[in-house]
Amino acid sequence: MSPEKRPTARRASRRGPANGDMHRRVVSPFLSGIVLALLLLAPAYLLPENEEGGHGPREYVPHPAQVITDDLGRPFPLPAATPERIVSMAPNVTEILFALGLGDRVVGVTRFCDYPPETRSIPKIGGLVDPNIEIIQSLEPDLVIAFRGNPLRLVDRIRKLGLPVFVLDIGEGLEALSPLIERIGRVTRTERRAAGVAGLLRGRLEASDAALRDGLSKPKVFVLLYGQGLWTCGGQSYVNDLIGRAGGTNVASLLPKKWALYKREQIIKDDPDVVFILARTVGDFTSGRDRLLRMPGIEGVAAARSGRIFELDENAASRFGPRLVDVLERMAALLHPDRFGGRR
Amino acid sequence: MTRKAGRRVFWAVSLFLCLAGFLISLLTGPVRTTPGDFLRFVQNPDRVHSAIFVDLRLSRAVLAFLVGAALALSGAILQGYFRNPMADPFVVGVSSGASLGAVLATALGFEAAAFGFSGPGLLAFISGLGIVSLVYALSLRRGGFKLETILLTGIAAGALASALTSFFLFMRSDSYDQAVFWLLGSFQLAEWGQVATIAPWIVLCLLASVWLARDMDLLALGDETAQALGSPVRRVRKVFLAMSALLAALSVAVSGVIGFVGLVVPHWVRLLIGPSHRSLFVSSALAGGTFLLYCDLLARNLLPAELPIGVITAAVGAPFFLYLLHKKR
Repeated sequence: MSPEKRPTARRASRRGPANGDMHRRVVSPFLSGIVLALLLLAPAYLLPENEEGGHGPREYVPHPAQVITDDLGRPFPLPAATPERIVSMAPNVTEILFALGLGDRVVGVTRFCDYPPETRSIPKIGGLVDPNIEIIQSLEPDLVIAFRGNPLRLVDRIRKLGLPVFVLDIGEGLEALSPLIERIGRVTRTERRAAGVAGLLRGRLEASDAALRDGLSKPKVFVLLYGQGLWTCGGQSYVNDLIGRAGGTNVASLLPKKWALYKREQIIKDDPDVVFILARTVGDFTSGRDRLLRMPGIEGVAAARSGRIFELDENAASRFGPRLVDVLERMAALLHPDRFGGRR
Repeated sequence: MTRKAGRRVFWAVSLFLCLAGFLISLLTGPVRTTPGDFLRFVQNPDRVHSAIFVDLRLSRAVLAFLVGAALALSGAILQGYFRNPMADPFVVGVSSGASLGAVLATALGFEAAAFGFSGPGLLAFISGLGIVSLVYALSLRRGGFKLETILLTGIAAGALASALTSFFLFMRSDSYDQAVFWLLGSFQLAEWGQVATIAPWIVLCLLASVWLARDMDLLALGDETAQALGSPVRRVRKVFLAMSALLAALSVAVSGVIGFVGLVVPHWVRLLIGPSHRSLFVSSALAGGTFLLYCDLLARNLLPAELPIGVITAAVGAPFFLYLLHKKR
């Protein structure tokens, strides 16, 4: 250090002769500090990244030949057999796991997972953006299924613990539902059951499409999310797709968002033929409807005059899972009672 | 009590609290663990307990301690720098600038990790330092250097950054949940990689600030006096400003914005051990680290769901600050 220090100090004192002595005190620690910093910084980059390797998951034995990529494009070794302890980080994933008959292997769910009712007794790992990593680790899962709405940083943190995490993209339209189920079936090695469930849903979608084919009027639909303010679904929401497939036109489909606040004046101008209110309970639905009808100007809207204001199950409609097809069928029957013979 | 004895008591109590804090951090969490579990783990480590004790709890405690130390040191430096007891990393705009960067990254979906930081962390770091440089450059333009100018410029730039942050939050309301992490801070995602990234810099800044502490003492007499007494005032000021900004930006990059630590802890320490900067810097770092360690304990154990740590530091810090203000009168 010292042979390096002297010339620095001399240069400094030449620049500022008045207080050169002090400059040595300031400059040399600053320069040597930078050198020291570079040395000290090295460990951060040399630290082993035990993402895939290191103390990897021991409980499950990956099939050597089968490595698929998850929806983040990361390699994921397929387990040889159906995992025994699955943690689901999203309500729709939980729902699909149950639909695949894996309910008894789900050991952890989010606090929003409430369907099917059996999920209530399963340990909660926290929410979608704030799951507790320590709880997840303590459940000793051999498969963690996350989705893109979980913060990526958090997913990476779980992966660094050596837990196998599979990240799924939630689709934009109903078309993506069957592939999603098949993908979950693949990663849980229940491919056959998943194909069955997905095929059934596809069949129902096709049946509904067939009933609504040709020469159809497309009533204008306004969807209201029960709660404060006029929240509705924009063009990027799969609910928008749901309305289209059910033979309606979403008045808010031009909004480039998933969910957006709507203006009362705009509803009056749009003059929707049908209003769907997404509500959890009948009480919520009636109070939402009454609040909407009390708004000045709304009483003149077509839906209000004809009374075509209907409830949709918010719980089912807000999750990209099998129950979306139930919602679709209900919507289609309400929009086009003639085509469905007043079934509902 | 003499000052020296007071200092000794302070050190003993802080060290004890610090060690106790680490121990409690190891033993508490959402998964119930007893001291017996811990002893059994030490003798015979298994994978799950190693993940819980070492990878999750210890890394988190160490990171909380480091960030607390960095914030308190940054605050202590800035209070000396501005000769103003109200100074903290918010006044030069670092914190607001960094949260703007983080929220922008979240809103744009910029998540790729680099240099040991996550995407938002990296952008927070860059924009935090960027805004300080901007504030500094703006304050220098009009000829001489005035403390008031940099203080006011910093506050204005911070307000602008906050406004932009709110704007991006409003535009991308769906990223709000994730933005809360950056705006109120959390150690939930702590890992050893982050510790290794920030620890060397914090140690370095602490050493450098202790080295230059006497110059900071001289600054308290006024810039002219300090210059006359042989302190290279402008250079010292530059180094201290850079260090405080670096410390604050590093903290935000790993844990989000955590308020009040930088403001309150140096005051508390100054009351107990006096204004000499050498011991003030070291003691502030120790006390700040310990303070944040306990705040994090509260944040993760108070409720079933984790609280953002900024809520705790402000809830503890604000009443204490009020108490200090009124005691002074």
